[in-house]
Formats: sequence, structure tokens, C-alpha cells
Amino acid sequence: MKLERKEFGNLSVKGQMEVIGLVVIVILIALGMLFMATFALKSDPHKKIFTRKGLAYSTMSALMKTTVSEKAACYSLSQGSPKIGGDVIEDCAKYHDVDTSIYQCIGPFSGKALHSCDFLAEMAAYSLDNTLGIWNKNYEFHSQLIPFQGEEPVNLIEPIVVGGCPKWKERDSSGLFPINTEAGLVENTLYLCD
Amino acid sequence: MSKERNMKHKKMTRKGQLQMTETIAILFIFFILLLFGVIFYFRYQKIAFQEKQEELLGTRAMESTLKTLFMPELICSRGEAEPEDNCFDVLKLNATQKIMAQYLDEYYFEIFSYATITVQETYPGDKTWILYDKPKPEFTRKEPTFFVITLRDELAGNNQPEYGFGYVAVTVYS
Repeated sequence: MKLERKEFGNLSVKGQMEVIGLVVIVILIALGMLFMATFALKSDPHKKIFTRKGLAYSTMSALMKTTVSEKAACYSLSQGSPKIGGDVIEDCAKYHDVDTSIYQCIGPFSGKALHSCDFLAEMAAYSLDNTLGIWNKNYEFHSQLIPFQGEEPVNLIEPIVVGGCPKWKERDSSGLFPINTEAGLVENTLYLCD
Repeated sequence: MSKERNMKHKKMTRKGQLQMTETIAILFIFFILLLFGVIFYFRYQKIAFQEKQEELLGTRAMESTLKTLFMPELICSRGEAEPEDNCFDVLKLNATQKIMAQYLDEYYFEIFSYATITVQETYPGDKTWILYDKPKPEFTRKEPTFFVITLRDELAGNNQPEYGFGYVAVTVYS
């Protein structure tokens, strides 16, 4: 009887030891998973997000403010150099379905006098290529006309896509840069991703 | 009788030896696991420290860029009207380039520390202004930040100022 109790006691101690071993293993696995979760859930640095959003906005804002240089020899009725985000887009919106436009500016790539919509496309591509392009950024530039009569929106120029920033990709937008024209509302957007 | 006891004793000793070996093996595995854990933890700490340093450098880059973008010496202003954002005045740029070089150590080093600030025109021309150039001697890391800006030139336009296109590059060192 005494021997049985001793044997039972030994077995119980052994069982407790095994349970402690299991607990140690479980704690180690939990710690490992905690580390993995810390790595996996680490969010993007604040700086990266800030600069991407800021860069998208500043690029679009600068592009819209830029005026066409005298070298482009735009024949215009107004005084001063035409503004990309004003006169050029307005002219393009008004005459996008006509062969000739009021502004006929020399494109920075082609070196020829172009329709304002073609000039806008060349100018946007040139400006973005010389900034975002050389920093190896992927981007998309869209310029869309929303007519007042409730017709379907139309692309003023073919979207400029470099690398591509589809919806599923982590991307930042410059926000809509709306320009009110006689033909309707022109919305310009730049999407930027890494 | 003594033979039987001897055999029993031998059996028990062997069992004890086996248990000892088992315990040693378990302890060995445990310490190996512990060692792996410690190595992993220290590696993680090292990476976390490097990341923290990068983050601090990134924050400094961001702050320096913001300071540059809103510098009264450069921003496009007109009298008491609100200054234009993301715009540098070309006339101011030309003047500031000289002033910043002159007072680099006395005044601007306190603001920008070890950094390089350049403004690059991409349209219509390709002029470069090196506003501030103070790289850290034997730097280990550098962080460039870019922002696109317009360059207002009051002298170029016909009655109205001409707006060029360019960017500001701010590089900080550590």
C-alpha cells in the first residue's frame, strides 16, 4: 500500500514536470508569434505616407500653375503666357472634338505646333517624366471633362500611365483639381504609388 | 539473496543513468532553444534600432523640407496677401543663394543642420540653385526628399509673371 502511494506520487511529479514543459513550449511559441505579429502589422512609416501624398499634391498644384513659355510660341488672344491649369485646359475642353484649337503651342517633345489637348498631354508627360519619372515613381495622370448637360464624362487626354497605380495598390491621390470651363467641369487627378 | 539485490541495484542504477541522460538532453534542447531566442531577440533589437534611426532621419528630412517650402526668403509673396504654396520666387532664389552661402554657419546651420538643399528648374529652362550645402563629414546615411514646385519669374513674363516648373531636393545626413 505504501509502495503504491510512493509510485503514484512519483507518477504525479513526472506528470507535473511534463505539464511545465508543455507550458514552456506554449510560452515560447506564443512569444515567437508575438514577434511575427509585430513584424507583420508594422505600418508604413509616417514620413513615406506624408511625402507621397504631399508630393502628389505639390506636383499637381505646380503643373496647374505653370505657364507656357514664350519659346512654345502659343498664339493666343489673351495677354501674357497661357496657364496650363487655366487657358490651355479650358481651350482643350472647348475644342476637344474639333481639329483646331485657339492655342497652338509647340510641344516640348514633338517640337511642333499642337492642338491644345495634344499640347496638354505632351506638357503633362514632359513635366511628370522630369520629376516623378527620374525618381522612379509609378504614377497615373487623368484629365476628365464632365459636361454640364449630364452626358457621360470624357477623357480630355489619354491617361498618362507610368508603372500604373491600380485601385488595389497602395496609392495616394493629389485630390481632384477641378477647373470650371464653358464646356463643363474638368477634373484633373494624379495618382502616385511606389 | 545478495546476487538478487546486486542485480536489482544494477538495474536501478541503469534506470537512473538513463533518466539523467534524458534530463541532460532535455536541458540541452531547452538551452539551444533559449539561445535561438536570445539571438533572434538581439537581431530584432538591432534591426529595430536601425529602423528607429532611419525614422528619425526621415522625420528630420520631412521637417527640413517643410522649413524650406515655407521659408520667407523663398516663398512667392505679394505684399500682405497670402503667400502662394509650393511656389518659389526666382528673384528671391537668386538673392537667397548668396545670402545662405554667406551666413551658412552663423545662422542657417541651426535651422538645417547637416543637409543639402537644391532647387532644380525643369521647365522652361534647366537652371540649378544650390541654396545650402553642408554634408556631414563621413556620413553613414542620407535621406533625400523631393517636392515639386513652381518657379515664379517676375521678369520673364509679358505684363504677367511667368511660372516655371521644377523641384526642390532636400537631403539630410546622419
